[in-house]
Amino acid sequence: MLRFIVRRLLITIPTILVVISITWVLIKLAPGNFYSGEKPLPPAIEKNIREKYGLDKPWYQQYGKTMWGIVRLDFGTSLKYQGQSVNTIIKRSLPVSAAVGILAYLLALVVGVTAGSIAALKQNTKWDYGSMALAMLGISIPNFVLGPILVLVFSLTLYWLPPSRWEGFPSWNLVLPVLTLSAIYMAYIARLTRAGMLEVLRSDYIRTARAKGLSERDVVIRHALRGGLMPVISYTGPALAFLLTGTVVVERIFALPGLGNYFIQASLNRDEPLIIGIVAFIAIVLLLMNLLVDIVYAYLDPRVRY
Amino acid sequence: MGSDKFRQILGLVLLASLACANYSCTVSASNEEFFGSTTPPSRNIFRYVTGDEPESLDPAISNGQPEARLYMALFEGLVEYSPKTLKPEPALAERWRVNSDSSEYTFHLRTTGRWSNGDPIDANDFVYTFRRNLSKATASRNAYLMAYIKYAQAYNQQQVFVRDPKTGEFLLARDLDADFPPEPLSSSPIDPAKNEYPPDPKDTSPQLDSAFHQLMHTATRLTLPGDQKSRNERLEANAKLKAAVAGKEFVPVKAEDIGVEAPDKYTVRISLVQPAPFFLGLLAHQVFRVVPRKTVEQFGTKWALAEHIVSCGPFKVKMWKPYDQLVLERDPMYWDAAHVGLDELYFYPVLDNSTVMNMYKVGELDAMFNHAVPNAWLHIMRSKKDYMERAEAAIDFLIINTTKPPLDNPKVRRAFNASIDKVAYAEWRRIVKPLTAFTPEGIFPGYEQPKGAAFNPAEARKLLGEAGYPVIQNSDGSFSCPTFPVDQVEFIYNSQQANKAVVEWMQAQWKQNLGITVGLRNMEWKTFLEAKEKLDFKGFARGSWGADYMDPFTFLSLFYTGGESGTGWQDPKYVTMLDEANRTLDPKQRFHLLAKAEEYLIENQPIIPLDSPSVNWMKKPYVKGMYPNPGSLYPWKYVYIERDRAKWDYGTPSLDAE
Repeated sequence: MLRFIVRRLLITIPTILVVISITWVLIKLAPGNFYSGEKPLPPAIEKNIREKYGLDKPWYQQYGKTMWGIVRLDFGTSLKYQGQSVNTIIKRSLPVSAAVGILAYLLALVVGVTAGSIAALKQNTKWDYGSMALAMLGISIPNFVLGPILVLVFSLTLYWLPPSRWEGFPSWNLVLPVLTLSAIYMAYIARLTRAGMLEVLRSDYIRTARAKGLSERDVVIRHALRGGLMPVISYTGPALAFLLTGTVVVERIFALPGLGNYFIQASLNRDEPLIIGIVAFIAIVLLLMNLLVDIVYAYLDPRVRY
Repeated sequence: MGSDKFRQILGLVLLASLACANYSCTVSASNEEFFGSTTPPSRNIFRYVTGDEPESLDPAISNGQPEARLYMALFEGLVEYSPKTLKPEPALAERWRVNSDSSEYTFHLRTTGRWSNGDPIDANDFVYTFRRNLSKATASRNAYLMAYIKYAQAYNQQQVFVRDPKTGEFLLARDLDADFPPEPLSSSPIDPAKNEYPPDPKDTSPQLDSAFHQLMHTATRLTLPGDQKSRNERLEANAKLKAAVAGKEFVPVKAEDIGVEAPDKYTVRISLVQPAPFFLGLLAHQVFRVVPRKTVEQFGTKWALAEHIVSCGPFKVKMWKPYDQLVLERDPMYWDAAHVGLDELYFYPVLDNSTVMNMYKVGELDAMFNHAVPNAWLHIMRSKKDYMERAEAAIDFLIINTTKPPLDNPKVRRAFNASIDKVAYAEWRRIVKPLTAFTPEGIFPGYEQPKGAAFNPAEARKLLGEAGYPVIQNSDGSFSCPTFPVDQVEFIYNSQQANKAVVEWMQAQWKQNLGITVGLRNMEWKTFLEAKEKLDFKGFARGSWGADYMDPFTFLSLFYTGGESGTGWQDPKYVTMLDEANRTLDPKQRFHLLAKAEEYLIENQPIIPLDSPSVNWMKKPYVKGMYPNPGSLYPWKYVYIERDRAKWDYGTPSLDAE
């Protein structure tokens, strides 16, 4: 097990360097600059700016500087936001994205697993149809539709909840973004749980458990759920990595100072160090999450061994 | 991300749900006098969205309008915009005098100016600021606005003077440059017999002389590019210049050579390279706002972060959480602190216009930035008494790449212009006024704007025929122009806002009136900018321009140096006309000459004027001292919260002087 983890961690490093190199090339290929605006700059002023930020140097020097920084986990200073280091920006915006993301996922997990299990246990009843219909709705309604509708109802019409902005954790401002964000995950998890549970409920070891005379409660919670949740667990890795690192649409609608917001703005602004920093960060989180999922797998499913 | 599409969908969903979800509720809502809550904030604060997250709190860095409004709260210059007209009014300078041809300005600072840390502000701070903002190390995007100051541009571009090593004399520009305009008073020897400054009975302070002042009052020196390669190119092109430079030494232009000095502790004198009557208005721009030398030198590029910043405006930084909120509080050190109306100013960076409107409606905002009201909401908002709509000092136009055929022919350009019905266009856009010239209408009092060619499709077809592309009328009444090289012309635009609908509108006009179908090409914003800047497009591009200062020259100067217009059009005659206008002392006559230059510009048609937009934003009725001025810039010290309903604004406040 330990060898497996070490090996996986070692593979992670070159993967991240490749991801960053591809990103770097794409940024260099993209037309436009962080300083360009509606009013074109006189060439002499543009030259001053390029020299100040080292953009006039040959490509291998610029690439080398970027990579050397990343090896030391120093992503440099944002070009657009003068004087702000990329590390500070990530440190500041990650908790916002993480708070909203984790809350949304927890909510999705509780509601989704409950609904999915009920649907599986009462297959082909009104419970099953009802929860699966809701799940279908959750998957089909995009969050940029759901968000504004929730705002319209709960903020603009009823005046119950604030329509946007970050007011720290916990606060009432979290309710609408968390609901908006969790809807689609809730729906997915419900469907995954239902499918997983249906499969497990028909398997031999459940029949054995029932034959031993265990109560239905024990059968479901101790045996069926454990196996039935495997698909949910493998889904959790990438989903959580995605949620942790910010979700563009929700952060935009609710004006949250999260990582996703920065990521999009950095790309639109051609803010090279910030783009690279966030890409590297997301890559690291994603790879770690996948590793974590594999470890949890081994713990939950006795058949899985590394 | 296709944010415009996203916004459209969002708007549609909102409208649809408004219509079906609660019909009775929407009806009552639209009957309300104001949009949403009118409860003033419980504390004496003002909450605002100025746009996206600010780039930096350093006034030398950003050239954006959202940041300009922040800088107005934090930093002050010699003069400040007045709240209604944006004309310069005294700020850190309490009075000033301008010499007879507007080429030298002397400012007398108030002695009560203080930094937020309590240190006094004196003339040397201004000298430092001007030098710093022009330096290569600062690399300010706004440095071009300071180019009117003597040797400022040469210093910014790291140019060199040319000196004779034997005599120590410098070569002069007027001897070697045939086009060099007559020297202004600021570069002519001081003549005590002549009153350089018009007499002012109110101001009897002595005119301080200094060695630097004497030096400025000598003929302008020749400057050449600092790097050898460009310098040699320049010399090769001009044999006379090359001969004159031979055997001479090159002396780099230093910060100390710039025409800014502090003859005493509370006097700042600025010598310009040319007469510039608009310069005073320009001085309120962010790049001229004074920055604290000690802090800047101590912290470098990090000086404007919340933990280090020292400011000098009516407000200072209390808390800054980037992409979340910037909280400013009244600065007790500010010289006019007693007249600052608010305790705190909150700036929220919000990207999405619908989110801004939501926050405004529920009462989390007291006002919003210009153009935050989505177009689809206009018909509702126009009936509200907290909606602001007024003329804006900005224009929208089409940029033409004049370097490529067939649009290198002015007749073809004129034909494309005359075949657009701008009146119908403005009616369709709802928020704009038709434009036929290159300056917005009714913004500069006393400026007689030339009238450009009106909508005339028959004339347009005739022009196109004269250019060698005859337009034929088909049997069904439509037109076609078979010889026109359609593949050589396209229309590029950026995928933002209602741009697509606008360019399709133009496309339809040309098809209908000329029988030419111009291809459309959609681009991401920065890609679009790059194509425009490098003239890497054929045909047309969308363009717009907002005033940097309240003078027609801020628009006309777009074609002054050529490179900035994105059209490739440059005409020495036009430049001479502008120079002549700016040398004219009588303001009326100057405007007349500027209008002549503008007429010449639109005759040549490197652009197709479309419209002048209107400012459109909202402020709660209890917000006073904030006016829908043409530049959407607000001197924050005048803004206050009025709790007495009787004194609220019911409708757009007047911009007339009281």
